[in-house]
Amino acid sequence: MGNEPVLPPPARGRRAAATSADHLPALLLGSVFVIATCGLIYELIAGTLASYLLGDSVTQFSTIIGAYLFSMGIGSWLSRYLDGALLKWFIRLEILVGLVGGFSAPLLFVLFEYVSSFRLILYSLVGLTGILVGLEIPLLMRILENRYEFKDLVSRVFTFDYIGALLASLIFPLVLVPQLGLIRTSLFFGALNVVVAAVALYRFPETRPYRRSFSGIMVVALVLLAVGFGYAERIMSYTETLAFQDQVIYSKSTVYQRIVLTRNNRELRLFLNGNLQFSSADEYRYHEALVHPAMQALPRAKRVLVLGGGDGLAVRELLKYPQLESIRLVDLDAGMTALFQHNAMLLALNKGALLSPKVQVINGDAYQWVRRDTTRYDLLVIDFPDPSNYSIGKLYSTSFYRELDKLLAPNGLMVVQSTSPYVAQKSFWCISHTLQAAGFHTIPYHTYVPSFGEWGYVLAGRNGHWRGDGPLPAGLRYLTPGTLKEMLHFPPDMAEVPTEINQLNNQVLVRYFEDDWGPYTH
Amino acid sequence: MPGRRAFLGRTGAGLAGLLLSPGLLESCAPGSARAHIRGSLRGANQATGHKLWNPTKLPAPSRTIQTGIIIVGGGVAGLSAKRWLERHGRPDVLLLELDEQVGGNSAAGRNGVSAYPWGAHYLPVPDPRNHELLEFLREAGTVTGFAPDGQPIYNEYHLCLDPEERLHINGHWQTGLVPEMGVPAADRQQIARFFALIEEMRQAKGQDGLDAFVIPLDHSSTDEQFRQLDALTFADYLTGQGFTSPYLRWYLDYCCKDDYGTTAAQTSAWAGIHYFAARKGQAHNATSADVLTWPQGNGFLVENLRQQAAEGIMTHTLAYAVHETPTGVEVLAYDAATHETLRITAPQVLLATPQFVTRRLLKDVPGLIQPRQPLHHTPWVVANLTVDGLPQGPGAPLSWDNVLYGSPSVGYVNANQQELQLGNQQKVITYYWPLTDEAPEAARRRAYKTTYDEWLQRILAELEKAHTGITARVQQADVWVWGHGMVAPAPGTLWHAERQQMALPLRNKLFFAHTDLSGMSIFEEGFYQGIRAARQILSGV
Repeated sequence: MGNEPVLPPPARGRRAAATSADHLPALLLGSVFVIATCGLIYELIAGTLASYLLGDSVTQFSTIIGAYLFSMGIGSWLSRYLDGALLKWFIRLEILVGLVGGFSAPLLFVLFEYVSSFRLILYSLVGLTGILVGLEIPLLMRILENRYEFKDLVSRVFTFDYIGALLASLIFPLVLVPQLGLIRTSLFFGALNVVVAAVALYRFPETRPYRRSFSGIMVVALVLLAVGFGYAERIMSYTETLAFQDQVIYSKSTVYQRIVLTRNNRELRLFLNGNLQFSSADEYRYHEALVHPAMQALPRAKRVLVLGGGDGLAVRELLKYPQLESIRLVDLDAGMTALFQHNAMLLALNKGALLSPKVQVINGDAYQWVRRDTTRYDLLVIDFPDPSNYSIGKLYSTSFYRELDKLLAPNGLMVVQSTSPYVAQKSFWCISHTLQAAGFHTIPYHTYVPSFGEWGYVLAGRNGHWRGDGPLPAGLRYLTPGTLKEMLHFPPDMAEVPTEINQLNNQVLVRYFEDDWGPYTH
Repeated sequence: MPGRRAFLGRTGAGLAGLLLSPGLLESCAPGSARAHIRGSLRGANQATGHKLWNPTKLPAPSRTIQTGIIIVGGGVAGLSAKRWLERHGRPDVLLLELDEQVGGNSAAGRNGVSAYPWGAHYLPVPDPRNHELLEFLREAGTVTGFAPDGQPIYNEYHLCLDPEERLHINGHWQTGLVPEMGVPAADRQQIARFFALIEEMRQAKGQDGLDAFVIPLDHSSTDEQFRQLDALTFADYLTGQGFTSPYLRWYLDYCCKDDYGTTAAQTSAWAGIHYFAARKGQAHNATSADVLTWPQGNGFLVENLRQQAAEGIMTHTLAYAVHETPTGVEVLAYDAATHETLRITAPQVLLATPQFVTRRLLKDVPGLIQPRQPLHHTPWVVANLTVDGLPQGPGAPLSWDNVLYGSPSVGYVNANQQELQLGNQQKVITYYWPLTDEAPEAARRRAYKTTYDEWLQRILAELEKAHTGITARVQQADVWVWGHGMVAPAPGTLWHAERQQMALPLRNKLFFAHTDLSGMSIFEEGFYQGIRAARQILSGV
């Protein structure tokens, strides 16, 4: 580098041709910077999106980068076939890159739910973007070749190229993703490509013949990108609705979880973090089975504690027993209980259970609560989410059940929702064995809930005195003395299997649950 | 982690505590990415402690106290001795502790988010033959009873909650600390062979019928075929056995640093094997691999020792000289709170202090046995960081012990691990870093010169590798520099006659108890040393 002049005098013979636009090479070098930034951004977007949607970020990033770079190579090779009006090609190319790259993120988000082979779409789009971006630099170098000496041309073009890359790699994680989000980032940089095309179009005199037609195309492209930008929020929530079969009628992120309510002609469904909690079409099966086998055996029950169950549906069943004097419900999420205390559609479903004067709603942590509470309850209804992580797994441990033991009246009962004995045979029996290890007699049972499949519960008490022939309240839609008897029978594919005991220091249940449900979710 | 059972070290915090009293020295430089972080450098309040080096400047004794037994040093050994003496008919014990609190290396702190350890923070499920320890744990509520087969039942809130351990390796968090992710088959074979060897050592018995490796280590077999392992370094031993896998060697280096504050090349091979082979815990509801832990770490155990030792503890009190008298001993002690000097006389004194303090206190006393080679204590840096969330890379979720492969630190523990409630994003993490890059003396000098901001910068740089963006989530960060962390079980320090002679009383007046006398600084050894010395006092040997 040393002492070489920074700007070598242009070759004399060419000078005349360049006079009209002496500042233009600088303009094109500026475009190198912009398109390099855009090019890397598209690559980062594809990598990030693939990691979001497909998981395993190392593999995704590495294969996306590889495919992208290889496609750029193809683009570079293809550039030799472009001849004639190079600037016109360049402007066309920029508009195309702007549209393809710009819409890559929204397109991938939307298509993810629709297509069976998402990877094919992903890599096709990455390949197309890569080829187009790969064409850019060779084309620009050829446009500039007569305006610079070769060594300066190479030096300058690549300097700006790499600076652009650095800028992109820094602003992408630090500014763009947190501030704009993936969809807006993608559209914004698409627009920048179109702007590069526009600047070239208006600053180079040789573009005059086709300015008018290209202007129209550019305006359309920019409008499309701008509309996409404005609708980014909607696209995001649209993709969320796609994740659900039905129309999303309510969605809210609380401190603890994302609550989504969907509806179709027949039913209302509640999802917490994407997991179905109930369908209004058949939740009565689940809740009748949860509450009545225990309650029919407790004719003198007065006090009940419900842990979890913020939807109030278990409480609705409990309120069918007039002898109950107080029902205390402890649910972590105030957002959840408030929803089921105020939304008209949901109030119709739980019959305003959480508003009953007999019911006290407490928003707090169940484990903390049971360690402090000193009341004796005739029935404990444990309706937690499935033990899918270590935090929830603690609520299925011997230690937790021993705390519950202290809250149970001498002849009281406790019922625990215990995931599916069909899908998660080991998990189900692990819960039963853990209750036994904590000193309870257990009566496992199960029922069929169409939207869930085969579902299990464990009834537990201090003695084996439970009988299934007590009076049931009127108006039940599912449970009869006959169904109750059937529920106790476990066919061989759900039969008892040996398991370890779930303790706080081993959390075997979380591992069983992962193994049991893994094949269904991956 | 470190403080693990480790750390217990400064059993006799009597004077060593000089290096430990908290002192707010400085806060973070404004304008940096860390400017929002509150915190200070603690430890190393040498002002009171250094008076020991120049006792002539202290005031003359203004009054005299008489007592039955004086204990100098309120670390685990001193507290354990006091507890044992009291429950065997000797309530007339006065314990002198330099720090404002007893506990030595088991110091702990607390803020609005959690209690947290400043040092030792766990105890492996003990060997059921260690009856004294089990009895203590029963009184502390950690053992809740015994199963029909005699196995202890542990309080499940005190057993470390799952998930227990994870390792950040190759950009991924794996479960467990033994490297697995991306480890080649040949290395895995070596790792398997190493653990097979350890299992053999765990079962091994010497010709005298005693276990080769036991806690307390004095109960181990005297058989030379095992004791000779003390002559070489753990690193040389491993090389000799063909254990060359860098993954295995990293792991074993980590283990030595974690428990002893030394690298494998600085650790006696006997001690290196003892780390694994002496874990013989059994329980009705836990395994030998389980550990007991509390938010405040071993501060829990110390608090229980203290409660069980009742009255008679003077903190903030620097014992600076011990003299023999015709009827016993006199201890001169400076009360840093009232600035007065006391003459305390008693028939007997127990020095529950590290060797370098004991030698200073007894410099006029004849007959003191010296260790065969000088003992070293590795300096440590411990940082407690309060975060409002932990940005997490791919892999296993936050665990109790979180280790970074290849890091000079031994990782961090989640002080909120034993918490039961859901959804609490705020946590305190305790980061442990033994300064093993230099000789202990040089490392200590450098550590005392390092500023709070430098420590914070280096600690966050390490954590950022596994938790990108954590710096912005740190609300508070306090850093504690331990000048003399734990005694190093260097080759040749464990099995020689002098170590046992150092624990013998002199003229039925001077008694000794400290993990320095075991040669390794773990809670069980401090606890044992205290009882051993108390028994010597009671039996009038």
